[in-house]
Amino acid sequence: MKLDNVFKKTRQTEHNPKENTSGPGRPEVPEGLLRKCNKCGKAIITEDVERGYYICPKCGGYFRVPAYQRIEMLADEGSFVEWDAGLQSSNPMGYKGYEEKKRALREKTGLSEAVVTGEISIKGQRTVIGVCDGRFLMASMGEAVGEKITLAVERATREGLPVILFACSGGARMQEGIVSLMQMAKTSAALKRHSDAGLLYISVLTDPTTGGVTASFAMLGDVILAEPQALIGFAGPRVIEQTIRQKLPKGFQRAEFLLEHGFLDGIVERPKLRDTLYEILRLHEKSELQPEESPDPETAVPEKAQETKTAWDRVQISRRKDRPVGSDYIRELFGGFVELHGDRRFGDDPAIVGGIAWFHGRPVTVIAQEKGNDTKENIRRNFGMPGPEGYRKALRLMKQAEKFHRPVICLVDTPGAFCGIGAEERGQGEAIAENLYEMSALKVPILSVIIGEGGSGGALAMATSDEVWILENSVYSILSPEGFASILWKDSTRAKEASEVMKMTAEHLYEGNIVEKVFSEPDHLTVETLPYVTEPLEKEIGAFLARYEALSEEALLEHRYNRFRML
Amino acid sequence: MIKKILIANRGEIAVRIIRACREMGIETVAVYSEADKEALHTKLADEAFCIGPAPSSESYLSMEQIISATIVSGADAIHPGFGFLSENSKFAEFCEQCGITFIGPTSQVIARLGNKQIARNTMEAAGVPVIPGSRDPIYDAADGARAAGKIGYPVIVKAALGGGGKGMRVARDPGEFEQSFRMAQKEAQMAFGDGTMYIEHFVENPRHIEFQILADTQGNVVHLGERDCSIQRNHQKLIEESPCPALSVKLRKKMGETAVRAAKAAGYMNAGTIEFLLEKNGKFYFMEMNTRIQVEHPVTEWVTGIDLIKEQIRIASGCPLSFGQKEIQLKGHAIECRINAENPQKGFRPSPGTVTGVYFPGGNGVRVDTAVYSGYTIPPYYDSMIAKLIVWGQDRQEAIRRMRSALGEVIIEGVDTNIDYQYDILNHPDYQAGNIDIGFISVE
Repeated sequence: MKLDNVFKKTRQTEHNPKENTSGPGRPEVPEGLLRKCNKCGKAIITEDVERGYYICPKCGGYFRVPAYQRIEMLADEGSFVEWDAGLQSSNPMGYKGYEEKKRALREKTGLSEAVVTGEISIKGQRTVIGVCDGRFLMASMGEAVGEKITLAVERATREGLPVILFACSGGARMQEGIVSLMQMAKTSAALKRHSDAGLLYISVLTDPTTGGVTASFAMLGDVILAEPQALIGFAGPRVIEQTIRQKLPKGFQRAEFLLEHGFLDGIVERPKLRDTLYEILRLHEKSELQPEESPDPETAVPEKAQETKTAWDRVQISRRKDRPVGSDYIRELFGGFVELHGDRRFGDDPAIVGGIAWFHGRPVTVIAQEKGNDTKENIRRNFGMPGPEGYRKALRLMKQAEKFHRPVICLVDTPGAFCGIGAEERGQGEAIAENLYEMSALKVPILSVIIGEGGSGGALAMATSDEVWILENSVYSILSPEGFASILWKDSTRAKEASEVMKMTAEHLYEGNIVEKVFSEPDHLTVETLPYVTEPLEKEIGAFLARYEALSEEALLEHRYNRFRML
Repeated sequence: MIKKILIANRGEIAVRIIRACREMGIETVAVYSEADKEALHTKLADEAFCIGPAPSSESYLSMEQIISATIVSGADAIHPGFGFLSENSKFAEFCEQCGITFIGPTSQVIARLGNKQIARNTMEAAGVPVIPGSRDPIYDAADGARAAGKIGYPVIVKAALGGGGKGMRVARDPGEFEQSFRMAQKEAQMAFGDGTMYIEHFVENPRHIEFQILADTQGNVVHLGERDCSIQRNHQKLIEESPCPALSVKLRKKMGETAVRAAKAAGYMNAGTIEFLLEKNGKFYFMEMNTRIQVEHPVTEWVTGIDLIKEQIRIASGCPLSFGQKEIQLKGHAIECRINAENPQKGFRPSPGTVTGVYFPGGNGVRVDTAVYSGYTIPPYYDSMIAKLIVWGQDRQEAIRRMRSALGEVIIEGVDTNIDYQYDILNHPDYQAGNIDIGFISVE
């Protein structure tokens, strides 16, 4: 049965329907009660947006956050102290209408300029903060913005405080001409001094961060975070399209694109920002560390592997699918791991996982070659075969560790550095060499543990360390036995035979002074039985740190130099 | 006077409201989701606006969409029906801010009565009996036993964060208390990670009795007698009737006066319902106040002769009540059966789908409120109630017989319904004897 147009309708006779739709007292939505989401186009209640981190309750899209509200979202209540509040820029080019425009914006937004700076605490962690506000000339950086940021960074340097800057900007401020351009250099120079003083700078990129801001303070963070979907780039997408006369792919210059291309440490959803920033601040807090307990010399004696397995058996075990991978060790040995991504050059290599974590109450940098623990993950992580991006990420994190005086712990597990066209184009050899070169003189202790396969230069690029340890059934060699057989005997099927002559097992490596310690394994090492290995390993890492942190920088580097010099 | 009403609902209640508006010469605006294009309320109203996709969260619960439709259509009032946004104080406030008449109480009253603790305190202050219970959270058995002694056995121990029956235990006497408390607390600890407990008097085998209230803007409040809604399955009412066979004239007067006092204490306006639990010994306790029209309102309409929807609209227009308490007389007996598209044999699983054929009974003393027609497809997204069958008789006996006869005539083809289940309840000797409480279905 169809019911279209069958029912009689009510029509009021005593009034004109037209008068119903206008005139005083008619229902209307008061100004400001509703707003439209610029992402999904739906009408939403303004209050819901303001109470909900400025996120659209319908589509989850992010609105831009006014500076003071951003500070309110992050800061402990009442902790914000504003600095240089009244600072304003001049009109260096005498640009017509500029003063009027700024005056109107000051009235409309209540801001004196496009950035708000000051000091806050986040769960008790003191930090300097600067937040750009897009409502003021698209938060473009002119003299005042550059000056306020520079003043804040300088004061942070003087007071030994970290800096967090929330970038959101169209770039340099055109109306102030060349003076605006100079702000890029000025802010960068201030940040360099802050960094040289060993202090932390976290940059948070929000939508949009472009032009001269991207090309200066925004990209200089020790840690660079971004909000989901934020547009981040140097040239704006429209300019690029007009120049190259091509349509840009979807997602181009979005935060996710930058993460994939190695320029971000992470993307953080707005509701989690406060917690994430707190964790990072805490990991960089300057405090007196409890020294590790002195090593018990008895425990430093390596266990001798029982000789029942052939070298080939061990090669097979080291490659087992259910053998724990890097991330399993990170979980088991460390706490509060904050993963940091990207090489800041080209990409973020999933075959290497790195970041900062807690070990016995102190921050350490952890870098692991990661194979993944199911087929999908194996593929995503390229079976633990890093490209140059992976080694460059590792080196970046080691340099960061050096700056903040954190020891570095590397977990080695790779069949070898990846062989491919792209890897060669981007300098696989150069990347490995650079790691050996820099690691040899890194001013903090480095420990490497071979947890599975130690494949050639791909492994050495994470094992130019103070000590290298190995698990009973892990292997470490010049090349895979297959490759060895293929090169020397022109027959890769003779891998088993090769493995026996290569002296690649833990026992041989220990005898040859290639490794310092061997850790025995349970009959079948899996995630379930992992504590069998990690419990003694944890104890030994503690002892390692005590031993090497007691050394002077000179002695440390001398020791590392000699370790390889004698081989 | 209100000239045009937007009905922010669907199904039979939307149809019911449209009909009342039509009688009053008020224009109607329906809103519908994409799944309800062919729904009766969409077709019946003078105008209809699509307000979003099928899920209620994106359509019938979308305040922004409904307010926008109201403004665009030029309606001056919204009737929220029941369910959806009907008891959402934020929505009522939104209407107030936009100058739209929300047909119901003010947003403030909805908010106050929606908060269990505030509602309870308001009622206690007005001398309305509430279930005795511990005011402060209790963490250990010894404190609990002291509190239980004051409250009076049997008591029920409840988790502060409770829900779904977890972390709840009854103790019938002091000897049982400690073990019950420990078990409830352990369960609460496991389920909610929190062992904060409350203790209440356990109301044993009560009836669910609710009083219909009407309150105008001038401060006049009357009650329209009670409804007995004890026949429930999983807290879903199945059969409601008025009057309640267990209420004496004296008790009705006492409970009715209490209900009026409760409504006044809450500053109530428009139609509302005060729910009580009634113990066998005649003691009754306030449970909550529903700040909306209810599904079972037709039984009250029939025994009082008052059209509740029209009264709601009149009150919202600012008209004073045209009758006083004395003029309200309960005449005869009315029963309502809710007909759901569900299969009682398969655990009452909802049974959406196309209704290939339908026949509803009529005749003297039979009323059918439904939005189902032949060829209508019941969407799977919403409540499974598809019709309400209401009968009136000179007395309860006649009403039950008439309901049985009417139920026997209902034909709904294409989907499963609970009609046979309802029929069985009506035939049960305890039901016929009026010997029912809220445990009726779980026991049988």
